[in-house]
Amino acid sequence: MKITALLVLKAAPETSDPVILANASDVSHFGYFQRSSVKEFVVFVGRTVASRTPPSQRQSVQHEEYKVHAYNRNGLCAVGFMDDHYPVRSAFSLLNQVIDEYQKSFGESWKSAKEDSTQPWPYLAEALTKFQDPAEADKLLKIQRELDETKIILHKTIDSVLARGEKLDSLVEKSSDLSMASQMFYKQAKKTNSCCTIL
Amino acid sequence: MQARHGQSSYRDRTDEFFGIVESLRRSIAPAAANNVPYGGGGGVKREDPRSAAANQSEFSKRAGLIGLAIHQTSQKLSKLAQLAKRSSVFDDPTREIQELTVVIKQEISGLNGALLDLQAVRNSHNDERNISRDTTTHSATVVDDLKNRLMDTTKEFKDVLTLRTENMKIQEDRMKKFSKISSKESANPFVRQRPLASKPSPSQPAPLPWANDSSSSSSSQIVPRRQGEAESSPLLQQSQQQQQQQMVPLQDTYMQSRAEALHNVESTIHELGNIFTQLATMVSQQGEIAIRIDQNMEDTLANVEGAQSQLARYLNSISSNRWLMIKIFFVLIAFLMVFLFFVA
Repeated sequence: MKITALLVLKAAPETSDPVILANASDVSHFGYFQRSSVKEFVVFVGRTVASRTPPSQRQSVQHEEYKVHAYNRNGLCAVGFMDDHYPVRSAFSLLNQVIDEYQKSFGESWKSAKEDSTQPWPYLAEALTKFQDPAEADKLLKIQRELDETKIILHKTIDSVLARGEKLDSLVEKSSDLSMASQMFYKQAKKTNSCCTIL
Repeated sequence: MQARHGQSSYRDRTDEFFGIVESLRRSIAPAAANNVPYGGGGGVKREDPRSAAANQSEFSKRAGLIGLAIHQTSQKLSKLAQLAKRSSVFDDPTREIQELTVVIKQEISGLNGALLDLQAVRNSHNDERNISRDTTTHSATVVDDLKNRLMDTTKEFKDVLTLRTENMKIQEDRMKKFSKISSKESANPFVRQRPLASKPSPSQPAPLPWANDSSSSSSSQIVPRRQGEAESSPLLQQSQQQQQQQMVPLQDTYMQSRAEALHNVESTIHELGNIFTQLATMVSQQGEIAIRIDQNMEDTLANVEGAQSQLARYLNSISSNRWLMIKIFFVLIAFLMVFLFFVA
């Protein structure tokens, strides 16, 4: 489950091509000579998908072996290239986060962008690495995972508590036997003591 | 009524036939006019109009007219039913259906009135003249039959209207669902996608009542979507349909998966709570057991201590009793001496 690229674009429905605002891609698993072509491919497909995503809509497109998820909010569009195993929900929540972060850090300056910006945005790069694990992006997944772990631990606890119960049961039996025996012992001793008048 | 007619068809009606021939001869023009619409309209009409009375022929003429009108109405109704069944989202023939509905309704009400008139006429004629019993029964039968057919037609009309309203409701639901969702392209990402066309109904329900972690995004989705609808250009409904049908699964899936995940989380937490409760119950029960064990041990300790003291006392008594024992031994030795004396 990996993310190959994350793009932020400004999608204007009137103009033909969306403008790239930020771009982060992880092409390390391609051969050295394919990397630039893969980057271009990412740019091109990202532009196409963003231009075809209507505002305030989410969209997932299957392109070769990648799933391209796009989320367009008020003209600011985030596109992610993930493989098929990446859960769709995490992808979209990741895109949500990216857009929120972008708006927080860049305010409204993106609206005036007319050409592709070439400065890398560090947040995007670190987001790309951080969110290779879908649980990071999707809080629901994280919570679900933690809850499952907790449940496993609790199951183990309950098993051990049951074993403890069994041991306690055996202990209680033994202790009751012991008390019976000691009572008999006491009676016997008293009996021996009482009838020793002769001898 | 049917049995009667069945019976009457077996009866010999030659005299009536002659009577009819006479009446025909007497009133050729009205009779001709009578027979044609009467026979054409009532496919079920078995008997010739009887009696030489002109009012009877008038009655039959009117009955014939009514029958024909009913037939026409039922034809229109079947057409309407077809239209209503066929209606899909594409070229909705609402207007035609509306027109047809109005026309059919008018016809039915007209037929109702005509039938009532017919019945009144027949009654008045029956009162005026002394007509044979068969005539009255015949006319009564005719009127009843027409009434039945009119009722059937009305019922069909009602069914068709119900079907139509159901279809419209289904369409409305589908339109509402489609207008909320983004399009999904599964096969060809390079097909140019168009935004949604403006919907006929301006009011939309609030979408996505699920609690997202980005509730702001859902509310902002409502506003731009409405603007997008207002601004977007009208399209071919066909492409819109396809896109809508593809849009439905995706947004639906996304939101549904979020809702499902939340449900799962909630149920997991619930289960965890349960588990904790069970754990607490078990531990408290075991605590009780531990207390019992403790008591048992204390009892044992007390018993053993008592026994030990008894034994100590016994030991003491044994050791202190030696004087008594010496005395007893002396007595025993004395007995032995006496015994020895006896033997020796």
